Amino acid sequence: MMELSKIEIITSMAKVNALQEAFGQFGITGMTVTQALGCGVQLGTKEYEADKNTSPALLPKQCVMVVLPTEDVDKFLEFVKKELYTGHIGDGKIFITPVSNVVRIRTGEEGCEALTEGKL
Amino acid sequence: MKEKKLGLASVIATGVGLIVATSCLLSLGQGASAIGVTIIISMLIACVLNILTALSISELNAIMPNLTGGLAQYTLACMGPFVTVIAMVGGYLVCNTIVGSAECAMFGNTLNSVLPQVNIPGNVYCVLLLLILIIVNLGGVDIFAKIQNIVAYGLIISLVIMGLIGCFKIGIGDTVTQPAVISSDFKDITSLCGLTFFLFIGCEFIIPISNQVKDARRKIPLGMVLSLLIVMIMQTFLVIGFKNYTNWSDLGESATPHVLYGTLLLGKAGTIWMAIVSILAVTSSINTIISSLAYICDGMAKINLLPSVFMKKNKKGAPYVGILLIGGSMILINATGLSTTSQLSFLILTGCVFWMITYIIAHIDVLILRRRMQKAPRTFKVPLSPVLPVAGIIGTCWMIYNIASDPAVRIQIYVVTGIIFAILAVYSVIWIKKVLKAKLFEPFPVKDVMAMENELYPVFHQEKYKIKKISNQAAAINKNI
Repeated sequence: MMELSKIEIITSMAKVNALQEAFGQFGITGMTVTQALGCGVQLGTKEYEADKNTSPALLPKQCVMVVLPTEDVDKFLEFVKKELYTGHIGDGKIFITPVSNVVRIRTGEEGCEALTEGKL
Repeated sequence: MKEKKLGLASVIATGVGLIVATSCLLSLGQGASAIGVTIIISMLIACVLNILTALSISELNAIMPNLTGGLAQYTLACMGPFVTVIAMVGGYLVCNTIVGSAECAMFGNTLNSVLPQVNIPGNVYCVLLLLILIIVNLGGVDIFAKIQNIVAYGLIISLVIMGLIGCFKIGIGDTVTQPAVISSDFKDITSLCGLTFFLFIGCEFIIPISNQVKDARRKIPLGMVLSLLIVMIMQTFLVIGFKNYTNWSDLGESATPHVLYGTLLLGKAGTIWMAIVSILAVTSSINTIISSLAYICDGMAKINLLPSVFMKKNKKGAPYVGILLIGGSMILINATGLSTTSQLSFLILTGCVFWMITYIIAHIDVLILRRRMQKAPRTFKVPLSPVLPVAGIIGTCWMIYNIASDPAVRIQIYVVTGIIFAILAVYSVIWIKKVLKAKLFEPFPVKDVMAMENELYPVFHQEKYKIKKISNQAAAINKNI
């Protein structure tokens, strides 16, 4: 069975549209976007602020989740990194995890078949 | 968010418009008169080296996008404040002021050439023009905002048409029979590379429009390279046109070679055409230099590299300290009466040395960031790195070495450059140690340099500085009590 990986991208609200438009070229058949609140090592401090926050301030973000064949991950990551890069704090993070299986509930198809448009 | 609507054609048009200046024609005339059409080889070498710089600047823009301070901010993140202040802030401001003064002198020369019956020295026209532009800029009015591009394109289209007419010998004037090549000695050709370098300077000014360009990551580097190649082709036509219509010796002696060429090519109509186009182009260029350098000073003051006095604005919102300083310096340079080809060439070449040093630093910045931020995503990478940036550094150093064919002039240029750098170095050390309280060669983190671009950065950081100052004063008072 083809190995699959889950990519979770946490980024600013404005960047999701650009990703959405470009995902087709990587054969991604679905995506899940959730609105989120969160902070990283800066604890939500804005880049122009002089003092770092002492307690976390949660900032609005979007979390984009996609699953794709592991063999396509490197190429996909290269694209996402370039697309999201601004050089400023807050560009986001990408988490990559292996997926042991995927099941399409309606048909019971598993693995890659569950991610593509099936015949059933 | 601004709509990204500029295409490759707009990028190229902007690039060519920014690279070509009226004073370039003086350099071209001088170079061509010295060795003939073999100047084209020298131009080709200078063009290739400028393409290498364009590639390096594109990579820097890819890793630190949309910075208004450009090269100064890249260098602050790579080499620390000392190099940034002396080479980038000081050097860049000084060289633009010097080159702007040469451009201004072309205004006086052009008026003198078309109005020989009016017995007014050229520098009087220059000082008057500068005074008017200073007053206009202090009034916060950009008189050329709407026609700047039209004026620049007017100059370019005129030069292309004039070049082609001369090239194909279809002008109404008499053609000249003279040898195409005066010297083919490679030493003579390379000794003019400093002069021809000036023909291609300025492609980095495309970077500020990158946030308005569709698919900027591909079109900005491509646009920069194509702009340089188009300038190369345009100037090649002109050199061939010069060969067909102007005596090499007359060309070398003329302080307004474009007007001379226009006259010999198309008679009185050519004189008027070139005079009007170049006067408008010069005025527009100088206005841009005064205005943009004043805002660069403002930007540098925001990131604490220049005194905060440069941030002061008058009631019209104009950064008046920068305007007065830059405009005043140009008046002083022009008031000395510079107008001859040798004086202007000296000024242009001195400015070029500063510019070349900033380009060398741009290449070094690329190499430093390649090492320090190996994994950072870059939407554009200089191909064959580090070979091309290193070739750029060596080539530009070699051009500085060959900045003038006359060894005495070369030494004079080095002395002037050395003195200015020494003054800037003293200022830089005092400023960094006393005001910035930073280490001379410690690079600023990239994230801090990027943050400085935010308009709120100086507000928050000055607030913190004020609070710290007040609390220190309060502590001192308490101690005395």
